[in-house]
Amino acid sequence: MSEYKDFREFYEQELLPDLEIIDRKRKKVDRRVITVLLITVAVIIVELSLIPKTNDIRIVVPIITGIIGFIIISVFSKSYRQEYKNRIITRITAFVDEGLTYTPEGTIAKSEFVKSEIFPLSCDSFKGEDHFRGKLGKTDIEFSEVVARHKNKRRSGSGTKNDYTLIFRGLFIIADFNKHFRTHTVVLPDAAERLFGKFGQKLQSISPGRGELIRLEDPVFEKEFCVYGDDQVESRYILTPALMQRILTFKRKWNTTVYLSFLDSKVYIAIRMFKNLFETRLFKSVVDYSFMEDNLRFLILLTEIVDDLNLNTRIWTKE
Amino acid sequence: MPYIIIISVVLLILIIGIALYNSLIRKKNDVENAFASIDVMLKKRYNLIPAIVDAVKGYMKHERILLTEITSLRAQALLDDLNNDHRVIIENKIQKGISELFVAVENYPDLKASQNFLHLQGSLNEVEEQLAASRRAFNAAVTLYNNSIEVFPSSIIASMMNYGRRTLFEIPESERENVSGKALLERQ
Repeated sequence: MSEYKDFREFYEQELLPDLEIIDRKRKKVDRRVITVLLITVAVIIVELSLIPKTNDIRIVVPIITGIIGFIIISVFSKSYRQEYKNRIITRITAFVDEGLTYTPEGTIAKSEFVKSEIFPLSCDSFKGEDHFRGKLGKTDIEFSEVVARHKNKRRSGSGTKNDYTLIFRGLFIIADFNKHFRTHTVVLPDAAERLFGKFGQKLQSISPGRGELIRLEDPVFEKEFCVYGDDQVESRYILTPALMQRILTFKRKWNTTVYLSFLDSKVYIAIRMFKNLFETRLFKSVVDYSFMEDNLRFLILLTEIVDDLNLNTRIWTKE
Repeated sequence: MPYIIIISVVLLILIIGIALYNSLIRKKNDVENAFASIDVMLKKRYNLIPAIVDAVKGYMKHERILLTEITSLRAQALLDDLNNDHRVIIENKIQKGISELFVAVENYPDLKASQNFLHLQGSLNEVEEQLAASRRAFNAAVTLYNNSIEVFPSSIIASMMNYGRRTLFEIPESERENVSGKALLERQ
């Protein structure tokens, strides 16, 4: 925990002056947000009382008003959020590792997300933020928050109606793997086997477009994950008994759904998560050590992936 | 009417029989295939041995006997008329010899630092890792095959085809530790 003691020093000397400036802005933003909220509510009440009950627009107009209010609020808070990320998160990033750079508006490329083939549904809407990239030891790594959606086209009456299904929300990580390989292997959470046991295993082997089912010898790993690969031997070359153990520990550490894909000598990791990370907050002071420490802890947890999966060990032919 | 029932029952049995037969053949071929991939890796290892011996012999002064032994074991392993049991014995000896060699390297700092040696060590680790993967793939294929020849109803077809159990590859303790002991232990 020594780094946290250092971090307190860093917090007091480096972050505190900026946080105080940012917090003054937050108070201003808070006041504006409250004003906008009050006005919006007032307008909605007036609308509801003026428009007759039988009229269709009685629902539509207040909703539009609400949306406009929300947009105005997010415009007001945008510059404050940006400043917070640029000034504070950027410095916490440098504190964690000099080799890491942070781009608040950046994201991992959609093409990489699609290429990993973790999620079979086609990705029609892709958004991301809080992009980190760098070299940790020998390992190139990048990660960002990602929200990916699939568009469903439905025919209703005269026209088609679109709605979106959430494919994935969470953290997406791309890191250099410590071995060379040519084929593709995916490690997916195993719902079938946990629910149906042996019969579930049979179900897994019928999975179109996923390559062959790889049955691994670690029973605990087999219960948690289901592995598909193009090559029985190469998938095992990647997933050694030691790495299987590491993946299990990693999954338990994060305590959420984890997906992995091994492709082009890289590992793609998707960690499902609904919390929006590295954000500022409204109506509560940001001059708060524990709030900053949470950011630090989270970033350290992310950079630890390199050690968790032992990516820096290069005793094979990959330098 | 009874004829139709009899014919359909016979047909059904026939179809099930063919399906089981095909699946057994497929599983047997998977086992052969997996065995062949082990062979490929073993050959890769044989090819590396002369290079490793060459790289170390200039430095090593007290391990002449070990080096000669490894070279002669490799020559024996390459003989075609080797039966499987004999081959496993020679493989184990080679494995042991290489382990000893890499332990001895610790006494020669110059050798340990040489680029050529490091490169060879990386290649050997690579082959060993792939060899381990091939053995595990073979064992997985054999387990599937053994299960299906012992489980009813495919066991009936298997006994008609004279299919017997295959033995699993035992992964020797020394191999789990692996060749370059120290470096590989770091990844545990």
